[in-house]
Amino acid sequence: MSPIAIIALIIGIPSLLLLAYVFVRGSTGLRRYILTRIVLTLPMIFILATMVFFILRILPGDPVSSALGPKGTPEMIQSIRTQLGLNDPLIVQYGRFLWSMVTLRFGNSLVGGHRPIVDEMSERFPATLELIVPASILALLVGVYGGALAAAKRKRALDFSLRIYSVVIYSLPIFWFGLVLQLFFGVRLRWLPISGRIDAVIGTSLKTITNIYSLDALLTGNWPAFFSVLQHLILPTLTLGLILSGVFVRMTRINVIETMQADYIAAARARGIRERVLIYGHALKNAMIPVITLIGLQVAILLAGAVLTETVFSWPGMGSYLVERISARDYTAVQSVITVFAMLVALISLAVDVIYSLVDPRVRY
Amino acid sequence: MAKTKERPSEALPEGATWEVELKRIGFVRRILTARHWYGADWWFVTISTVAVVVFIIIALFPGLFAPYSPDALVGPSFLAPGASVDLPVLIVPQSSTVNKLQDLAVPESADRPTVAVEQGLPTAGALNEESQKIDEVIKNQPGGLRLRPIIDRYASLEETLQAVVDGKDKAAVVQTTEFNKVKAQFPTLREAAPVSGTAATAGGFLMGTNDIGQDVFSRLLWGTRIALIIGFSSSIISLLLGVPLGLLAGFAGGTFDRLLSLLMDSLYAFPGLILAIAITAVLGPSMFNIIVAISVLYIPTYYRIVRGQTLSVKEEVYIEAARSIGARQLEILRRYIFPNVIPSVAIIFSVNVADAILTGAGLSFLGLGLPPTLADWGIDVARGQRFIQTAWWMITFPGLAIMLVVLAFTLMGEGLMEIFNPKLRER
Amino acid sequence: MTEDILYSIRNLTVEYRTRAGSVQAVDNVSLDIRRGEILGLVGESGCGKSTLGKALMRLHTGPARITNGELWFDGRDLMTLSDREMPDVRGAEIGMVFQDPMTSLNPVQKILDHLTETIHTHEPETSAAAARTRAEELVERLGIRRERLNEYPHQMSGGMRQRVMISLALALRAKLVIADEPTTSLDVIVEAKFLDLLRELQKEFGLTILLITHNIGVVAEVADRVAVMYAARMVEVGDVRDVFADPKHPYTQGLLRSVPNIKLDGGELYKMDGAPPSLLHPPKGCRFHPRCPFAMGICSVEEPSLDAVENDHLASCWLYRDVAVKQEARNG
Ligand SMILES: Nc1ncnc2c1ncn2[C@@H]1O[C@H](COP(=O)(O)OP(=O)(O)OP(=O)(O)O)[C@@H](O)[C@H]1O
Ligand SMILES: [Mg+2]
Repeated sequence: MSPIAIIALIIGIPSLLLLAYVFVRGSTGLRRYILTRIVLTLPMIFILATMVFFILRILPGDPVSSALGPKGTPEMIQSIRTQLGLNDPLIVQYGRFLWSMVTLRFGNSLVGGHRPIVDEMSERFPATLELIVPASILALLVGVYGGALAAAKRKRALDFSLRIYSVVIYSLPIFWFGLVLQLFFGVRLRWLPISGRIDAVIGTSLKTITNIYSLDALLTGNWPAFFSVLQHLILPTLTLGLILSGVFVRMTRINVIETMQADYIAAARARGIRERVLIYGHALKNAMIPVITLIGLQVAILLAGAVLTETVFSWPGMGSYLVERISARDYTAVQSVITVFAMLVALISLAVDVIYSLVDPRVRY
Repeated sequence: MAKTKERPSEALPEGATWEVELKRIGFVRRILTARHWYGADWWFVTISTVAVVVFIIIALFPGLFAPYSPDALVGPSFLAPGASVDLPVLIVPQSSTVNKLQDLAVPESADRPTVAVEQGLPTAGALNEESQKIDEVIKNQPGGLRLRPIIDRYASLEETLQAVVDGKDKAAVVQTTEFNKVKAQFPTLREAAPVSGTAATAGGFLMGTNDIGQDVFSRLLWGTRIALIIGFSSSIISLLLGVPLGLLAGFAGGTFDRLLSLLMDSLYAFPGLILAIAITAVLGPSMFNIIVAISVLYIPTYYRIVRGQTLSVKEEVYIEAARSIGARQLEILRRYIFPNVIPSVAIIFSVNVADAILTGAGLSFLGLGLPPTLADWGIDVARGQRFIQTAWWMITFPGLAIMLVVLAFTLMGEGLMEIFNPKLRER
Repeated sequence: MTEDILYSIRNLTVEYRTRAGSVQAVDNVSLDIRRGEILGLVGESGCGKSTLGKALMRLHTGPARITNGELWFDGRDLMTLSDREMPDVRGAEIGMVFQDPMTSLNPVQKILDHLTETIHTHEPETSAAAARTRAEELVERLGIRRERLNEYPHQMSGGMRQRVMISLALALRAKLVIADEPTTSLDVIVEAKFLDLLRELQKEFGLTILLITHNIGVVAEVADRVAVMYAARMVEVGDVRDVFADPKHPYTQGLLRSVPNIKLDGGELYKMDGAPPSLLHPPKGCRFHPRCPFAMGICSVEEPSLDAVENDHLASCWLYRDVAVKQEARNG
């Protein structure tokens, strides 16, 4: 079984179980909500993919001749164009493109070993997953805790510092932040490696199953590999996670402060409930509901950040794959990667909405 | 519109008092009150506005502030910030009467003096420049002396110095520190005056030099121009497209609105950098293309806010308009929508410039937007990455510059948001 | 007859600091609440009733501050308690029912959790089962089936929620319940039922209730005594029957005449002239004088104090001061 299929199972089965649970336990309203939401995801993917397709087709520039470079003769270019179907009418190409999206078969890459793009992506995608999952968790932890703390200490020094933190973090170019971490922890202190996913020597001993190295190392009980992977993960995760956390601090703070003005908080206060409980129990819980929807919108920052982080840390994920393929002018691959990113965006925002509906009792029943 | 209708004697809803009072007092008073009410934010806005103005001035006249041209090779490579330059010095035999470069000058008819240098060092350049300068001066003086040294290049420091010992060359020009290291081996030689060409006159570079000996600080100042051009022009383009589209969608409503909104929402949700990568990849690297790519990304930002405000204002106005003489659409636009929309658009613009600069830097860091030799912050950071082990300053300073500019624009936008638009506040 | 006084408010001033200046929403107000009574607090919207109600529990946050006054509750001055001690009083000794039951319950908390949380906050040693039983008994007494405790607020009707709010106020046998316009958002039938319930509870539990409302009808129906507020000041306090039969303050008179379902002169519906003043810039002297049909010279100069006009009937109006007092006030 290919790694990507295993990953699909790992993510897919629990999600399906969750969905099934929601459908069985939830009200008709909830069922309808989730169904609508799923149905609405499709046009979004479709629009994005279409946009990508036409941007790559309509804008000037010929992928094949630029891929072949100066050594490509007109005949060669023509034959490759025919072979790839680039000489067909646009509408036919578009149809073929949509079909390739549905079947998730993206064709072969234009350069290098002409491997199927799906195979190449199944090596890259797990790496990206291994980066963005812990980074998002870090961002959420820092963001939610920091935001609640700032709201609790409103207008005091801590609140002020946390606000500065969120603005400064937001203004940092992520690639530079990664490099500064490398300079400090990698070059100066020599504590942590500054590139790659695993130590080259240890890496040879790792048997890959899912291509998510940390998971593979755990599954095969390969502890040296596991620790090496963790070491390599720290800096990229910090880079991406902290950059993302700024927005979360801000959103959480604002929403907690807003929620603290709500009548039910005043009512709870009038019942003698302590300020700490009001903030961290009542207000934070309620504030998380709008924050969750906003998290959906941060997927864009997350993925754009991942592209830069991967480049800075030579992390062989989807982002660095995209950049490599653009330099190589491999348009089939570029188009496929961007389409996959579009699907990822749509799916994550779908997931966020489903979670939202589970958290908010007003939608649940 | 008729005069504001008489309000029945109902009190304001709780907490609304100040907002209404705020509307009553004038614009200028509002800024002054703001200072009282938003202590920190007021200062943020003031300081960041000053910073923005400074950045704009630097971007307009980088040449005034930068000590060197961004492309000039002005010093040795990898010179750390503040470290003083290793001065080239004239080496002559102990017995020689020569004390400075000018002493080597000979009458026009005589053989030109030969001077030894080590290959591939900036010493030769320094020697050349300095000789030319001296020549300029002495050729007009009586005596007919000329200084046009013949430069002999040797593979190593030892060979260079040996040539002087052997008498093959009249003198040598080497780096002071290098000479000090091997001094003991050449007892017959002595140090004469330093040879200072342009390359050597600098007593250290504020932010060091890069891999090919350009001044990091000068490049940084010149980079401001590119960053601001990208930031401003792409934001202006997005504004010019996004605002009318938002107005149109908000006014027209219906299917048009729904379709456009779906498109905009998709665009908004998609990682901007990735889309910009795709666009610049197809269009090819150039400043114009980067601007086009980035401006596409930020259209939805304007679209969404303008459409939202148009919708809510429209609702309010139509209820009133039903009572009064039918106000025309344009009138509604001018009297109700613009005053509501303009402040938020201005604020978004400021934040948008920051975002655009950040995205532009990301693109050029990836090597996707601009010609690789341009003095651009993103490019310079990318270049520094290759030398991360040796030259921390090549990465640190351009990145810091990006951060500061982005910070200034963001803070200005956020602070203004806090002060002027209570509705946008805290969002 | 001296009554047993549960809550004695002395010279209370509450200030909102706003961007346009500071506002005294409650200005130098004194009021006694007697044990076991229902005291109605009426006044136009914005006159500071809610502000007063919240101040009784020192509930103010943000821009509001109690700048002056003493709050003698059951023998001690709440103003002397620290911020850490205050929460022990809230909910346990004084309960509050808010205006809008729709927004006064935490939307993501089950009704049961509202109750048990309140009980556990004040009596941490209560077991979960005991707290649950208490909650069930309480809500059943108020006419809510115990199964409904597992629901979320948005699943209940407005009347139901308001009963939940009451149950929350009663969960710990509070001595005083402050009900801030508890029926404003309810329809008339539900309102009537709710008021009956309030009466019953008051008798059954020996409750003292401060009923804040701008609905004179409600006060007439359930209250024992009534206090009238105008522009942050207390203008008249007395027994409901006395005040309604013979209102002293011109504002109260106008207020009563403008209510349709109270028969006074049997005359047509009356509409008071003018609007309540801005609290930012209140008029000098008696705050009602610009609208008062009986305004005299002194009214715009000096503010009358709240004094007994008849036995147990207080009003703050120059009409009921003898000339000597007026003269003295004018000079000094
Ligand atoms: N948060 C606040 N900030 C500033 N001013 C406020 C605030 N809350 C209330 N006020 C002002 O205090 C005054 C009294 O308000 P309060 O809510 O106590 O009136 P109320 O008598 O309860 O009115 P209602 O019948 O509408 O509930 C009002 O004039 C209002 O403008
Ligand atoms: Mg009120």
